[in-house]
Amino acid sequence: MSLIPNDLSDAEIPQQLGQLLSGLFSGPARLPFAPGGRKAALERLKAFNPARYGSRNHLEGGVSGLSPYLRHGMVSMAEVARVIRTCKSGKDRNELLRQLSWREFFYLVLEQEGEAKVLENLELPKYNARWTDTIPDDIRTAQTGLPCVDAWVSRLEAEGYLHNHERLWFGAYWVHWRKLHWKAGYRFFREHLLDGDVGNNALSWQWVASTFSQKPYFMNKDNIERYSAGKWCRGCAADCPFDAEYETLEKRLFGPGFPRDTGAR
Amino acid sequence: MLEPKTVVWLHGDSLRATDPALEEHPDAPALFVFDQPFLERVQVAFPRLAFMYQGVRDIAAARTALTEIRVGDALTEMRDFARAHGVKRIAATQTVSQRFDGVMDALEGEFEIVVYEQERLTSYNRRVKKFFGFWKDVEAEVTQGETLFSGSRSSGDRRG
Repeated sequence: MSLIPNDLSDAEIPQQLGQLLSGLFSGPARLPFAPGGRKAALERLKAFNPARYGSRNHLEGGVSGLSPYLRHGMVSMAEVARVIRTCKSGKDRNELLRQLSWREFFYLVLEQEGEAKVLENLELPKYNARWTDTIPDDIRTAQTGLPCVDAWVSRLEAEGYLHNHERLWFGAYWVHWRKLHWKAGYRFFREHLLDGDVGNNALSWQWVASTFSQKPYFMNKDNIERYSAGKWCRGCAADCPFDAEYETLEKRLFGPGFPRDTGAR
Repeated sequence: MLEPKTVVWLHGDSLRATDPALEEHPDAPALFVFDQPFLERVQVAFPRLAFMYQGVRDIAAARTALTEIRVGDALTEMRDFARAHGVKRIAATQTVSQRFDGVMDALEGEFEIVVYEQERLTSYNRRVKKFFGFWKDVEAEVTQGETLFSGSRSSGDRRG
């Protein structure tokens, strides 16, 4: 038995916890970007201003940042919903509750299907996909040469967090542009995301990949530029693989036979 | 002082002092294990582990009963912890995980296992297929906070 003190200060965590868990984690022993725990969860919930939630699709928009706390049960979905219902009103309030319900939905799918099934394709992909189950070095080291993609990887590793739009863009780049299996993306996210869990993580990847949705999710440069306020596109000299109309990209990514009839629901 | 009759297994999906199993057993010793077999198999960056540690630390600070943290095999550590406290019952809050089920199944012969339902957002208890249909069914409950579905599982289901 190896006992771990239950009262290490934050300053002591990297060195002492790092030593006690030596060999059981990747990367350097450092504190999380956002502090964990019930106290931090309630502070985050209190500080959240749903009035800005209408802008949540933009990277600088008003997201709650509660997902790591919800994922580890430091605050429950029911508690968050009660606060939102009690303290807030209007259209954004209901949209926020709808987004929260995705977490419940993924949990129910996981409970219904079981962990093993959710970690495999739930349906056939909706195009002739040939995915490689690996995590390439240029992505792992944030050296793809695409400023946006490299920024997503860097943020993922530094903060253990990505905005939902960044997750979707990265997932689409991974699966559809790089032809990498969503399972490898799932593992990459699981390693770093503070809020990564089997249900949300695997099912979101499958949704992008089209094994848990009617069609693959993909974006173009205009979409990235719009929701990121052009932060990577301005002055970008890369040969942008996203710079085309949706119809062009669809043909390029999924082939002329898309969408194929899989007989899926 | 009353001898504890139950110990609580804390896991990474319910790290708060208001965890349903902890709330039912406020005086019970509780254990959180950094599960070595899992962490040897699954690559996880340190900040994630530190984040969970901070969650358990908050629980320990909020309780008067013992809250212990160990690193090792979750099954072995849980069994040793329960034996050391001379209890015949292990309580935990439900989570969907093969590892959780495996540990609980292995402990079941020696101990009574009591699993408490997670505090859910909805009382929805039918099959789910697509989010759109699910949302149509639960929208009123989620936005108005009223229970629309009956027959959801009760807390404290005993196994075995």
